Amino acid sequence: MNRLTRQLKSYRDQFVAVVRNEFRAVFTDEGALLIVVFALLIYSVSYSLAYGPQVLRNVPIGVVDNSHTAASRQLTALFDAGPNAYVAYEPTDMEEARELFFQRRIYGIVYIPADYERRLLDGRQADVAIYVDASYFLMYRQVFQELVATIGLTGAEVGLQRLVARGAELPQAEAIVQPVVYQSHNLFNPYLGYGSFAMPAIIIVIIQQTLLIGIGMIGGTWREKNLYRRLCPAGRDRMSTLPIVVGRAAVYLLIYGVTVCYILGVHYKLFHYPDNGTTGAVVVFTAIYLAAAIAFGLALSLLFRTRESSLLLLLWTSIPVLMLSGVSFPREGMPDWLYRLGQLLPSSSGVEGFIRIRSMGATLAEVLPEIRILLLLIVLYGGLALFGTHRVLCSAGCRRR
Amino acid sequence: MKAFLHHTAAAARREVGRMGRMPMYRRLLFYLPLVAFAFFAVFFSKGVARNIPIAVVDDDRTALSRKLADMIDATPTAWIAYQAQSMTEAERLMRDGEVMAVVLIPYGFEKGLLGNVPVAVENYVTGTNITVNGLLSKDIQTAVTTFSAGVQLQLLTARGMSDGQAMAQIMPVRFDRHVLFNPYINYGYYLAPSFMPMMLLILAVMATIFAVGTELKYGTAAEWLHTGGGSMTAALTGKLLPVTALLLLQAFVMLFILLEVVGVPMNGSFALMAVGTVCFLLAYQSIAVMIVALMANMRLSLSLGGGYSVFAFTFSGLTFPIMAMWAPMRWLSRCFPFTYYTDLFIDQMMRGAPVVYSLPDLGYMALFAVLPMLVLPRLRKVCTEPKFWGRE
Repeated sequence: MNRLTRQLKSYRDQFVAVVRNEFRAVFTDEGALLIVVFALLIYSVSYSLAYGPQVLRNVPIGVVDNSHTAASRQLTALFDAGPNAYVAYEPTDMEEARELFFQRRIYGIVYIPADYERRLLDGRQADVAIYVDASYFLMYRQVFQELVATIGLTGAEVGLQRLVARGAELPQAEAIVQPVVYQSHNLFNPYLGYGSFAMPAIIIVIIQQTLLIGIGMIGGTWREKNLYRRLCPAGRDRMSTLPIVVGRAAVYLLIYGVTVCYILGVHYKLFHYPDNGTTGAVVVFTAIYLAAAIAFGLALSLLFRTRESSLLLLLWTSIPVLMLSGVSFPREGMPDWLYRLGQLLPSSSGVEGFIRIRSMGATLAEVLPEIRILLLLIVLYGGLALFGTHRVLCSAGCRRR
Repeated sequence: MKAFLHHTAAAARREVGRMGRMPMYRRLLFYLPLVAFAFFAVFFSKGVARNIPIAVVDDDRTALSRKLADMIDATPTAWIAYQAQSMTEAERLMRDGEVMAVVLIPYGFEKGLLGNVPVAVENYVTGTNITVNGLLSKDIQTAVTTFSAGVQLQLLTARGMSDGQAMAQIMPVRFDRHVLFNPYINYGYYLAPSFMPMMLLILAVMATIFAVGTELKYGTAAEWLHTGGGSMTAALTGKLLPVTALLLLQAFVMLFILLEVVGVPMNGSFALMAVGTVCFLLAYQSIAVMIVALMANMRLSLSLGGGYSVFAFTFSGLTFPIMAMWAPMRWLSRCFPFTYYTDLFIDQMMRGAPVVYSLPDLGYMALFAVLPMLVLPRLRKVCTEPKFWGRE
């Protein structure tokens, strides 16, 4: 009994010493401070500002009208009226349109042939050619949807008139023109805002990446200057690894607790990002994710031997990490084994679970598979951190007696 | 002039020696790009997303409703993974992450179609992933429209119209669609060309700051300047030469992967693209030199340079177009050479635009090369005064 209380007291003392030391290490090191505290805030704010308007509207297009009739003018006016595109130019021929296109003044071209109205009046099919630039994904989407919807609407109107002219009753004619009324709804992000789509994932990835680089920078500095010895509490040789790892983790959990609360609370509200989950579920899930990312960071930090190593070697990984989370590129588009391998990163399950809770309003029970993976990662990386810290301390000259 | 070349060569030889001695150089300019390129090549090897799981709630359960479901299933992107019993079940499947869209076919679907009453089909697609949303929305809409046209055709021919008459009735305005420059709407075409140069520019900034910064960190700057015969220009040129050569080598491996593995077309001028790539790398190296000269502190320079380089992607306008951004963000986007490089890439590789339209982009990137010239005096000062050395 006596031995147990002594052991517990020793653990507590070491824990307090480690926490104090880690706080000092972070807050007296402007490099680490910049990454661990400010990077998350700076990136979240500037990316959100870049995506501020959220949706792309009024993409300029050109209409080459060879018909010059009431019908073709009406069609042109309809293209102009929609929210996503507007007719910026009416070039006289395709050559001129091409030039405007290469000058990046227009991003789509509609060609209305000379016989457009005559064919419509004759009860035949009129042809319209549309050229849409697919080199920018969002432009393509907005312009194409607008053009196709307008042409479809015009067609339906003409179809209805023709049927009525043939003597059909109106409700019946409507059913023939449009037997299936199709409606598509976008859930959780009704206007398909770009920020609302990208920012939740980006925030989760930034949290992990700044943790990896920041903890790695501190670990590298200690390694370079042989400061690990400082972790041995004063006046004793005997030390334990557990309070060191838990103490360091607690410090990062506290720091990120504050910054993440700000980002997921205030910043989220300011930019109106989807917020459908319960606060409890968001807090619990984010805490588990943070723990997994910190454990990963602690384990990884033992590999860096100089102060700048983590930054030099890890910064570029933000891109693959984001890709593996399945946000920028659907997971069905990448090799399955690669996606599975990506599950070793806390961010993969973190992004998936966080979006489902925060944007889609899932409960904790509904993201149980993701939580399970994160818990496994905590055990895996926590274990590696314990093992690695023990090794480093041994070589740094702290020995068990 | 001859002396200058001689000193530059001496500085370059010294740098090659450092590359051999310092393991970080090998990691940064050899192993890391190797891993990264392998990753990108594997990642984009599949190319397009197929068979994204969706659910169908078929409240009608008739031959016609099943026919519609089959047509949706047959599209390239949508795959009916679940036949949900109710919308409640379908919603749960979506929150579980099992499906990305739910199509609802209402009760009375077949009866309505046969009895000439319009029927509604609803599609609920998740908006949390714009890429997936775009692919599914398009394919499901196409399937429903095709199905609808088939029904119309039968109704009209039953009323005694010929096929030609019926088609003119169904689609009075026919459109001939030309998708320019990305005929397969392959999302890899958008992402690979932006992600890979992104990685390259991060490496270029990091490696350049490292090359100059280590001279300060380890206090060897005076020796470096001495090797360059006291000429800062010669010392800097000689130092950057081997680094730039390795980065260029990587850039061409990158272009090779883009063209051969990802399958991006090369519709314009490859020569211009090559010149542009050189300008692109030099622009980022110039920025790196400026940062390290001003900060005179390797670690801080790495943090700032790294932070700056990561921003480029968002501001390039490749995903969220620059024209949609607020005005101050549009101005900001001009401060990243990557923005011009993506324009060049799209013009030359995808669009095959005449060379003249890409020359301004080359010019802007070349403009960044002025930066090191502006900070040369400062760099000389930093290299000669020991108080700038060994700072953390």
